[in-house]
Order: sequence, then C-alpha cells, then structure tokens
Amino acid sequence: MLAYIIRRVFQSVIVLLVVGLVAFSMFRFVGDPIDNMLGQERTQADIDRLRTDLGLDKPFPVQYFKFLQGAVQGNFGVSYRQGRPVSTIIAERAPATLELAMVSGFLAISIGIALGVFTAIRRNGIAANTIMTLSLIGVSLPTFLIGILLIYVFSVELDLLPSFGRGETVQIGGWSTGFLTASGLKALILPSITLGLYQMTLIMRLVRSEMLEVLRADYVRFARARGLGERAINFRHALKNTLVPVITVTGLQLGSIIAFAIITETVFQWPGVGLLFINAIQFVDIPVMAAYLMLISVMFVGINLIVDLLYFAIDPRLRVDGRTA
Amino acid sequence: MFRAFAVGAITLAAATTLHAEEFKWASTTDPQTLDPHAVNSAPVLGFLNNVYEGLVRRGKDMRVEPALAKAWEPIGDGEGWRFTLREGVTFQDGSAFDAQDVLFSYQRASSEAADTRSWFAPISDVKVVDDYTIDFLTNAANPLFPSSIANWMIMDSDWAEANEAALPDKDNGNYATLNANGTGAFQVTAREPGLRTVLEPFDGWWGDAEHNITRAEFTPIQNPATAVAALLSGDVDMINPVPIQDAERLSTSPDVTVIKGIEARVIMLGFPHEADVLKYGTDQGKPNPFKDTRVRKAVAHAISVPAILRTIMRGNAEAASQLVSPAMNGYSRVLSERPPFDVTKAKDLLTEAGYPNGFSFGLKCPNDRYLNDEAVCQAVVSMLAQIGLTAELDAMPVRTYWPELREDNYDMYLLGWSPGTFDAEHPIRFLATTPNPDKKLGSWNFGGFSNPRVDELLPQIQSEIDPATRQAKLDEVVKILQDEQAYVTLYVQPLVWGTGKNIELTQRPDNFFILRWVTVN
Repeated sequence: MLAYIIRRVFQSVIVLLVVGLVAFSMFRFVGDPIDNMLGQERTQADIDRLRTDLGLDKPFPVQYFKFLQGAVQGNFGVSYRQGRPVSTIIAERAPATLELAMVSGFLAISIGIALGVFTAIRRNGIAANTIMTLSLIGVSLPTFLIGILLIYVFSVELDLLPSFGRGETVQIGGWSTGFLTASGLKALILPSITLGLYQMTLIMRLVRSEMLEVLRADYVRFARARGLGERAINFRHALKNTLVPVITVTGLQLGSIIAFAIITETVFQWPGVGLLFINAIQFVDIPVMAAYLMLISVMFVGINLIVDLLYFAIDPRLRVDGRTA
Repeated sequence: MFRAFAVGAITLAAATTLHAEEFKWASTTDPQTLDPHAVNSAPVLGFLNNVYEGLVRRGKDMRVEPALAKAWEPIGDGEGWRFTLREGVTFQDGSAFDAQDVLFSYQRASSEAADTRSWFAPISDVKVVDDYTIDFLTNAANPLFPSSIANWMIMDSDWAEANEAALPDKDNGNYATLNANGTGAFQVTAREPGLRTVLEPFDGWWGDAEHNITRAEFTPIQNPATAVAALLSGDVDMINPVPIQDAERLSTSPDVTVIKGIEARVIMLGFPHEADVLKYGTDQGKPNPFKDTRVRKAVAHAISVPAILRTIMRGNAEAASQLVSPAMNGYSRVLSERPPFDVTKAKDLLTEAGYPNGFSFGLKCPNDRYLNDEAVCQAVVSMLAQIGLTAELDAMPVRTYWPELREDNYDMYLLGWSPGTFDAEHPIRFLATTPNPDKKLGSWNFGGFSNPRVDELLPQIQSEIDPATRQAKLDEVVKILQDEQAYVTLYVQPLVWGTGKNIELTQRPDNFFILRWVTVN
C-alpha cells in the first residue's frame, strides 16, 4: 500500500511538471500582456523596458524555471492585472468556487442517486420515463444556454432570484461564505443547478443502468426468495453494489465541476477562480494563468489518487490483488 | 407621543430614501488599479474621475472647466501656465490640499514608474509660488497644456508617503493600488478587485452635489448577456455598454432606457506605406500596391460606409471624414466630406494604377477591441471584392493583434483611435507623423506614413496660440492626409448605455461615467 502511494505520488509530480511545461509553452500564443499594461501613449522604449522587467524577453523554459523556483517556495508571483500576489487573489476567489462546487456536487449526487434508483425500480412507470426523457436535456444542452435560460425565467421574467453575483457574503477568517445570508443562499440556487445539472443526469443514468444490472443478478433473486423486504433488497443489497463505478465517476466529475465551473461562473458573473482564469486569459495575465492551471492539475491528480485509494477501501478484491501484485 | 411619531416618520423616510438612492452599475472592465498614475487607460481614469480630481476637469459638454484650480493664465509669452488653486479643499482623509500636493502629484505622475508620463513631456519645470499658486513652465509655448491634463489627478503627498506609495508600482502594486484618497465627490468605502467597488459621497467635497446618491456599487460583468439580464431584472441600474444588437430590443422594454451617443473613437483602415511587398494572399511577395495613392483612394471609394452603419451599427454611428470626430477640438469643418461610395471610380483608379484585375492581400482585424469589429471587416472584405480586390481576413483577439501590427504582419489593418486630449493634434502626433521613438512621435503609425509637411506642421500646431492660425494648420494636415489617403476613415464609434427608467445621467463622448451627474428618481 505505502509503496503504491509513493509510486503514485511520484507519477503525479511528473504529470504536474509536464502540465506546467506545456502551459508555459502555450502562453506565448495566448497573446502579449504588454499592450494591456501600458496605455495608449506608450513608446517602444516603455514596451521594451516592461518586457525586460517581467522577464518576458526570456525563452519559455527560463520563464517556467523561474515560476517553479517561486512556486516551490509558495510564491506564485504577482498578477499583471491586479498588481497583487497571485496566492492572495486565488485564496480570495477559491471559497466562491468551492462553495458553488460543493452545493452543485451535493445536488448532483443526492438527486442523481435518488432519481437513478427510482427510475431503475419503476422502470416502466410514466414518471420514470418522463424523468429519463428530461434527463436528455441535461446531458445535451450546453451549460451556458441552461444558465441564460434560468436567468431569463427566474430573474428577468419572474424576478425571484438574482441574475448575477454571490449576494451578501460573511467573512469567517480567510473564508468568505454565502451560506449565512439569505441573499447569498438565493444567489447560489441558479448557478449550482446550472453547474450540477449535467453531473446529476450523468449520475442518474449511471445509477439506473448499474441498478438494472444488479437487480437481475442472482443474489438479488435469492434475497427476494429469502423473503427480504423490497426496501432492504433495493437499498442494502442492490444500491451498495452499484456504488463502485458511481464513486469513480463522481470523483472525477467533482474535479470537473471545479475545473469547468468557468462557464457557469462567466454566465453568472460568479466571483470564483474560473472567472478569474477567464479574465486572466483576456488580459494575458501569465502568473494567474500559470497558478490556476497548476492548481487544477494538482486537484485532478489528487482526486485520481483518492479515488484509487477508495477503490481499495470499497472493493476487497482489489485489496488482495494489490497485495499480491 | 408626538416625538415618538416624529422619530418613526424620520426613520421611515430615511429607510425609503436610503433604498431609493442606492445606485448599482456594471461595465465590462474592472479598473485594474485605483492608482491614478499607474495606468493610463479609460476604465481606470474614467472610474477614478469620481474619486480623484485634477486641476481642471471636463464638463458635460467636454469643455475644460475649473476643478482644483480656480483659474489659470499663461506666463509671459508662452513660457508656461500659472494655476491658482482652490482654497479650503480637503482630501477624503481630512488633510488639506495645497500646492505641495500638486507638485508631489506632478513628480509622481511624471516619474519613470508612471504610465501618465507623456502628459508632462512639454513641461520643463514646476515651481510652487505660494500655497495656492503654482507655475508649470513649458519648453515651448503650449496653449493646449491645461486641457491636456484633465485626467491628471491630484494625490495627497502626506498620505502617499505615509503609506509608502510615493511612486506608482505597476508590477507589484502598493497601498495606492487598492486604496484611494482623493478630493472628489465620492470616496471608495470598499474595494474587492474584480468583484465590486463601493463608493459613498464625500461629505467634505468642495462642490455642490448635483446627484442624490447615498451609496453606489460598481460590479464588472464581462458577459454581455448577463449584463443585459441584470439590467432587465433590476439588479443593476445602469450598464455600459449595451450590446449593439440588443439596443433596439431593450429600448422597447418598459423598464429600461437606452442612451445612445457618439464616442470620440474613429475607426479606420490603415496601410503599409513602407512595405515593399505584399505579405498575404495569392499575390504574396509581389510589389506592395498600397504604396500607390490611387490604390488607397480606390479602397476609400469602394467602401460604402452608410451600408456598414445601417446594417452592422444599426444606425447608431456616423461616418468619419478625418481622424477625429466633429465633437473634438480642432475638427476641420471645411474638409468634412468623406470620399463617396463609387464602384466605377474605384475601378478606374485601380486600372489607372495598373491593377485592372485587382489583386489579393491580407486584412488584419481585431475581434474583441471595437464594437462589432470583425463584422465590419467582413463587410469591408465583401465590398472590396466588388472592385476585384480579394482580401484574406484574419481576425484575432486584441491581445495578439497589437504584437502582429508591431511586427508589420499585415497588408491592411483596422484601427480605432480616441484622442486622449480631445484635440485634433493628438491623432496627428500618434498616427500621422513619421515614427520617431526618440521624440515619441508616430508610435501608433504602424504603416510608417511619412509626409515632411505634416512633420513640420505638428510642432507649429502644438505651440500656436491663435485659434484661427492653428485651425488653418490643422486643416492643412487634414487636407494632406485626405489627398494622400493615408488612412481610410470609416465611422465614429457609437456609445450605447442602458439604464433603468428611474435614472437620469449624462453620457460623455469619452465614455467616462460620472457619478455626480446621476439622479435616482
């Protein structure tokens, strides 16, 4: 087990280094930050001076090395756009994204599993078929369209929910939370539905097909023959056995909820790291882009690692294989 | 009993007015700093105009009017300008304003670290005469100086020094990046970069408040659809800009007013005047036809500006005959005719120049810099096709666009220019004089247009005091640029804002949003 973890961590570090290298080699194609930083009345001398100051005249491997040097000391540089340390900015913006991801993840998992079980048990019912049809919308409609649609219906037409932003937030230590105010909670509703809808339908469809598979299995038939109640069969035996693939997918999806919150955050002007990243691209704010990409890759690598370890915990067969391997 | 009732009434009144006079607005760009000398860009200067003030400011009609200076007069025969400062002005932290703050702000804004340095290029020395009198000495007579510093904002020297912000720091930021202490009508009470900035009226402001705002909150909203939804649902009271394709639909909404105007920005096509060969298209490597004035004139005649304005700008813009709009100081009224749309004439000119069958070339265009810029370029491409010119359009985000132009990677390009000084001299200095980095001339003249007479006239225009003589010289430059067809000017960009029905405000052609002219009904 320990050797396995060490090996995985080592692999993860290599993945991170490669991600960084690829990112830095791409930045030059994103554009040139200089024009954004200098006004209309800049001269060529100003341009050259700033470029040297920022180290942009150096080849990208050198820039990357300097970034790594700072990063291992916890220093991600200073944002070109805001003139503040990148770590401070990301720390300010992270709570918004994490709270949004948490709520949409929770919605996706709870509603997804519940609907998945329901549609599996009542697979010929009208309600189940309606849900299945509607879930196609969730899978096929692009996020920004769902977001705009929700804003149009609930903010513009019905005037029930705010159209953008996070509402009032409360500062607890370094964490700004929207959970403690009415406007903060209201502001969470539309973005979290938008962000979680795809994952919800995905989990629902996955649970349903796994459930159908398991319900046909011999041990469920035997359980039924033993005279166990429907509830015990469905939830204790069937559902539990569908969870292994569900956990893998959910784990990976959790990463994408955070990483792909970018679109939802742009539509709702949600002040999280995704919006920060989009703004950074527009401004060619290289330190912010670099830090964000590294952060996201650390997260994906970390989640993959955790999911692998969870397999060990859930599935005893893997544990045995792991030992003998 | 009566007292209780009265108190109740007052609280009630306070509660309702407080609600009614809160004003929220959104725009696409967050001011990247609160330091008025660190970045010379419209979003920063426009925003900070509400917080900081200069010696002079611009009124609703863009005319220069007294602000922190009560009056100003030329010294001697064009040696400089003497400003008499307003007395009894305090900064928002309570400290008093005097000539030392002006001197300090001059040193700060003209320092190497500042982005506003070029405003002070004509200044040779600044002398404090007494607490409320200060002299700006110029290298040569400079009649324009007072109007060129309308965006130069005065900072308190003690505040800046106490907070270690004596110089702007663009790379790493400092106290003044996130905090502000001006003399203006509003003070910053909360600042979360990229999220929101809260302004509240400054009680100690020297002027008489024309607004009735008690609290104003600015939120940057990048997505235009979100901004429109926020305005429609009443979550914000004003948005800038309204996407041009939504303007008509929004103006029919019962809750929204669309305010249209003309911005100071002129959109034009530029040419490579120095390049020897074409760089793109099937005629790549062949001699550059745009060196021939007749070819440039053919382009001018081939483009139907009215059609562009009708279809792409939906009637919101007006055609441009020269590098500045009619609202600018020094606009040439005698030369306000644009080359008419005339395909036959354009074809004749091409034939005369030796290109009866046209040629193929590359057109570079930004796709996120000006209103509907890519669509305009597409229209230009199809219009040029009518006279046999095949343009290969390459549209790109502005962050890669300027580097391409600097590298001379174009055969024709789209450019917009808004004169920071609101004077016709500005585009001549940046776009029409022969590029000369040492003299800081022609820094945006990518094509390298060069005319000795224009170069000769520019310093004369800069120092001419008599308005009529000055206008004659400006007219001469416009005539040369039109005869040579240095640029093909297209139109003046529109300005479209949206507000709630209960809001009254003033839209200025520099696209600055001035909070002290807002009334919430």
